[in-house]
Amino acid sequence: MPIPELVQTHAGSVSRVTLGATKEQGGTRTHTVTIGGAASVVYGGLPEKAGDRPLIAMDVLDTRPDDWPESLSQSFDDVMDSPGKWAAKCVECGADLICLVFDGIHPDKGDKTAADAVAATREVLGAVGVPLILWGCENADKDNQVMPKVSEAAKGENCLIGIVEQDNYKAITAVALADGHNLITGAPLDINIGKQVNILVTDMGFPAERIVTYQSTGALGYGIEYAYSIGERQRLAALSGDKMMAMPAICNVGFEAWRAKEAKLADAPGWGDVAARGPMWEATTAICLLQAGADIIRLRHPKSVAIVKNFIDEIW
Amino acid sequence: MKSGKDKCLSVHFEPMGQKVEVQQGESILDAAHKANIYLSSICGGDGYCGKCKVVVDKGHYQSRSTNLLTPDELAQDMVLACQTKILSDMIVTVPKRHGLEAGHILAASDVSECRQMKRQLKGPAFAIDPVVRKIFLKMSAPTVHDHTADHERLYLAIRDTLDAPIIQTGFRVLQTLSSVMKKSSYQVTATVGQRGGTLEVVEVQAGDQSGRNYGVAIDLGTTTVVAHLVDLITGKVLDKEATYNSQINFGEDYIRRIIYAEEHDAFDQLQDRIVQDVNDLLTTIAARQCIGLSDITACMVAGNTAMIHFLLNLDPTRIRREPYVASADFVPPIRAAEAGIQINKRGLMYCFPSVAAYVGGDIVAGVLATGLNESEGLCLLVDIGTNGEVVLGNRDWMMCASSSAGPAFEGSGVKHGMRAVKGAIEQFRMSSTRRITVRTIGNGHPVGLCGSGLLDTLAELYYRGVIDRTGRFLDIPDKRLIEGDEGLQFQLVAPDGEHPEVVITQIDINNLIRSKAGVFAAIRVLMRATEISPGDLDAVYLAGGFGNFLNIQHALRIGMLPDVSLEKVWFVGNTSIMGANAALLSHQALNVSQQIAQSMTYVDLMSDPSYMEEFIRASFLPHTDLSLFPSIQVKQAESANQE
Repeated sequence: MPIPELVQTHAGSVSRVTLGATKEQGGTRTHTVTIGGAASVVYGGLPEKAGDRPLIAMDVLDTRPDDWPESLSQSFDDVMDSPGKWAAKCVECGADLICLVFDGIHPDKGDKTAADAVAATREVLGAVGVPLILWGCENADKDNQVMPKVSEAAKGENCLIGIVEQDNYKAITAVALADGHNLITGAPLDINIGKQVNILVTDMGFPAERIVTYQSTGALGYGIEYAYSIGERQRLAALSGDKMMAMPAICNVGFEAWRAKEAKLADAPGWGDVAARGPMWEATTAICLLQAGADIIRLRHPKSVAIVKNFIDEIW
Repeated sequence: MKSGKDKCLSVHFEPMGQKVEVQQGESILDAAHKANIYLSSICGGDGYCGKCKVVVDKGHYQSRSTNLLTPDELAQDMVLACQTKILSDMIVTVPKRHGLEAGHILAASDVSECRQMKRQLKGPAFAIDPVVRKIFLKMSAPTVHDHTADHERLYLAIRDTLDAPIIQTGFRVLQTLSSVMKKSSYQVTATVGQRGGTLEVVEVQAGDQSGRNYGVAIDLGTTTVVAHLVDLITGKVLDKEATYNSQINFGEDYIRRIIYAEEHDAFDQLQDRIVQDVNDLLTTIAARQCIGLSDITACMVAGNTAMIHFLLNLDPTRIRREPYVASADFVPPIRAAEAGIQINKRGLMYCFPSVAAYVGGDIVAGVLATGLNESEGLCLLVDIGTNGEVVLGNRDWMMCASSSAGPAFEGSGVKHGMRAVKGAIEQFRMSSTRRITVRTIGNGHPVGLCGSGLLDTLAELYYRGVIDRTGRFLDIPDKRLIEGDEGLQFQLVAPDGEHPEVVITQIDINNLIRSKAGVFAAIRVLMRATEISPGDLDAVYLAGGFGNFLNIQHALRIGMLPDVSLEKVWFVGNTSIMGANAALLSHQALNVSQQIAQSMTYVDLMSDPSYMEEFIRASFLPHTDLSLFPSIQVKQAESANQE
């Protein structure tokens, strides 16, 4: 008796979001990228249903970070004062996207002005051809003040901009709509609030097909199981046909993984060489979340980028 | 032998003009308790709600610093009553905002006057057979041929009239029985009351007194106490009265009050308060109806578990601690006088049985009143009080749950919220140009919002684009949307010379959404556990002291009730008092209430893992999952097409 082929089919799929705009499309990127499209759980269905390959975005900060451990910062020590050069180096390391993080505008971390942020944006746009993610400092007032200027400076580039949250979504949603960008909706590891933010921004007229969702990420050993189950539930909701949960997802792995003492503590002989340990911590977190259904992974260390890329090549 | 610290001081409260003696070092809030003056205090005196603001006009005090007072308020010598120790004689002014002035509130014409109700609820069909009745007995006097003793003669006569297998008589009745019988030539009126399966001879009077027999039904709420005077012969409700529960001084919810009582060993004090409230209601009604209190022979109380404990001074402390048990769910009938209730000295008091610590006799009474327990089809009863209780089921099974919805729809925790009394906005409309029209109870000048008005306001603000789906004010160009003391607020009624404005604040809206989310989450948990969809429901009963004109469409629009067609939803008002009336008039109904309490399955939401999730999903207008509200989607699409 032949074994019947059992294939689970789903009513819905993850929506597709294209980032970047080439010259013909009104931007200056050398190419565009597309994420999403999965119609099954990761590694759980026919290859043609797996959707687009997940992408790696590398973090570039608008200001030299003073809290990065040496094992991480040494890779970029020579370029950290120039977001443009830093971004170019990341692209050499294999970054599909550059995530420009405006940490420096935060009132407690330098309080840089909108003009500084715009300059950093222009510098990165000029230095690399990959599409950009523009990530605020997560201080609502300052983001509302600065991010509209950043958005305007990158108008036409079809960037991914954020993040907007339940308490603060109107200003950035409005400029993203006006400047033709895609939007990141954020929630504190709560799938229902995540969905509520999606509804709120679509109620403002923002197209659901241009949203990428973000749930605060938990690193390995620091709540990764929560992030994993949220990612998995979101994918299952998308497959069940829930349009307000069908957006691709982005995870902030670099920041979270490098906060773990296991990743950065140099003086811990029993734990092995810190130079290998940090990237492994970051890569393990990333690989785990990729299996939950993440579409974009933010990373920091070139070594972990290489490991994660290798994994993606194997699976997708 | 008074030490300096124990010095007696006097505190004057204005504008009431009340004076009270206190010990040095006591707080102003304590003094207000002693003077029986209501100061709003949600936290029960912990100093974090900032509601108990008063102005010290004269006198020395010591106050803990707080950021709940603005510099302006501090400049006016405003203090938090709970955080301020009295150091000298003092004059204190209580600002008007404390709202609940002493005295009685109008009993909002409830339920029975509701048009929809009359059509739907015929009330359970119980024959009039009151729990306590008076029967006139004409007996023949003993003779040489008939030497049955007086007491047994009485029993024989009673059994001629009533089917009473077991009768008992109190010793005091027995002591005077012979003289009463002889004096009246064996023509007496026996007052007999049901005590479980036993009939008790409560009183024996000479002559025919059977024409006057009254009972009172009491809805013992956390925020309000309602009394109905019922003629036990005709079955008619003769009069109604309501008052605030004066325990409110000790905390707005009963958990706070239990904590207060524990910390201050004030259980007696709390009992005194509630007993006093009930007695005040009784004397008011009796005087108005020219009825002697001794003609009231029965008292039927429906209240939540904690309130029944306070009334009877049973230990309520374990209600708030795991595993959340009551001292008694089924309270046997007692003599009302033993609890201090001033009806006939030997009159009986009955309490509706509770299901669990958080589902009390008020809900059992609600089930009885709506007839849910006899319904063939599936029904949902939602009672919005200080908590939101939900019962799902039919004549075969019943499940219930209680969500700590908070008293927002009772007007508590809402800046200009109030009970359904004169001047309360009970109907609120906003046109497409955002013009506001209101209707108030008693057509008085609008002074605040009662439950139905709050529900309308929430629905209309959302519908007219003043708030977004999380309830946050949208950035609209409207002069009425301003930054107030507590964040953004929207003016609903402009002030005029005499009357202050009525506003709704961002905090109010958040509280209302939390309340409705708590209730809806409880409904969802029960419906999911039993795999019932809204379409399976035959009727949804919405109960509570909202006001007279509850707009059911609005309750659906904000997602407080499951999406069923309008004609299945009934606003039924105060079902607790209705159930109490029914049980007063029918011994059988009282027995049924025992069966109801026994057969309900209680679902503890606090230990239910899906409750919190459902709550977050429901903390949105109307809900995060719009597929649960297909008819709202259709309506929105229709209105979008029209515009």
